[in-house]
Amino acid sequence: MTRRDFSERDIHMALDGELPGEERMAYDAWLEANPEMKAKSARYIADRAAMRSAFADVMDEPVPARLRQVVLGEAPSKASAWRSRWWLSAAAAVMLAVGGLGGYVAGVDSIARGGEGDDQLAEQAIAAHVTYAAENRHAVEVPASDKDHLQTWLSNRVGLKLVAPDLAAEGFELVGGRLLPAGGQGKAAMLLYEDAKGERISLYVTADSSETSKGTYAAETGGPEAVYWLDKGYACAVVGSLPRERLSDVAKSAYGQLVAGISS
Amino acid sequence: MDDKKAAILSEIPRLRRYARSLLRDRDSADDLVQDCLERALVRLDNWQTGESPRRWLFTIMHHLFIDQMRKVNRRGEAAMLPLEAGEAQAAPADQVETIASREIMDALQAISPDRRAALVMVAIEGFSYAEAANILGVPAGTLMSRIARGREELRGLLDDTSRRRSIRIVEK
Repeated sequence: MTRRDFSERDIHMALDGELPGEERMAYDAWLEANPEMKAKSARYIADRAAMRSAFADVMDEPVPARLRQVVLGEAPSKASAWRSRWWLSAAAAVMLAVGGLGGYVAGVDSIARGGEGDDQLAEQAIAAHVTYAAENRHAVEVPASDKDHLQTWLSNRVGLKLVAPDLAAEGFELVGGRLLPAGGQGKAAMLLYEDAKGERISLYVTADSSETSKGTYAAETGGPEAVYWLDKGYACAVVGSLPRERLSDVAKSAYGQLVAGISS
Repeated sequence: MDDKKAAILSEIPRLRRYARSLLRDRDSADDLVQDCLERALVRLDNWQTGESPRRWLFTIMHHLFIDQMRKVNRRGEAAMLPLEAGEAQAAPADQVETIASREIMDALQAISPDRRAALVMVAIEGFSYAEAANILGVPAGTLMSRIARGREELRGLLDDTSRRRSIRIVEK
């Protein structure tokens, strides 16, 4: 066994898997003989575990559509110019409230333009719909057959009392739901519905609204539209490729039931 | 979809995690990832077959990050970062992060970008010293000293935070 003097440097090497295997035993013995170094090592191990766990959730987050689109070449990156300046925010994150408006869904134009929060909500809801409604086997994380769990889980995560509206009168059955990242650090619930012909609509709900507003929003190139409203501390959008009248009817029904559910 | 694009897609979660640890804010971090992906696609031909897509993409992203940090520094904007940046940055409060996670994320933001990158690269992303030194474009010795100083600094910041927290509790 090689004998050499160890130092604090070796604590880092051992922690990072860079200590040669044949030195390990001697290192461990050195650590045992030096309580101060042993404590330091234990602390670094704990800090590393905390670092890893703080960022572990990022790996499970769905990849934002705008990032997939860059790789797949599906969207022109014309939003680059006004995309939030991440580096400025890094330098002066405290001063600047940058980044709330991720510049994705290029080419989307609003019909009834409200505040920017509205646009962001509608864009996120549409992006979620485009991404997940097209999926067959992976459209939802929790199926409608587990509706009670779905409601409890999403309510807890989003921070709102959430009921999945019954849209049978409008011809739609609940497929299930999933949890999504919303702007900033928020979370959103997405509930997916399907009619007899397989036409899908989604309901997108987040808890971070202090505004009161409503309107419709659509991409200039076609695709699904969103009917949204912001009220009573939550923001909600119904997205689908239905005639506007029908989408509005569905939205009204969903709105009524959500409000009733929240205040019940 | 060709193999290269598929390989790039599968690295996105890791790139996002690394960006998040560098920048803290979710949207800003995703903007950095987007810049990285855009640049990667333009340079797809530079990517040698056989070269790990992970290393290639991390190198691109790290250059973007460091270049901008340097520009910002030259303009002196970094001076706007107060010492208590960590605390102020936690302002967009949310129920998602635990207190422990928030503290460590804030503390990471408060150490220098070079040390932050080196530490995260090895401690979270699991690169070896050789790989990380290669990605960051620094000698192994420099990498090691950044990691050691980064860890020491992080520990000090976390201790300060918990001290302040206990003071606050006592004051209540």
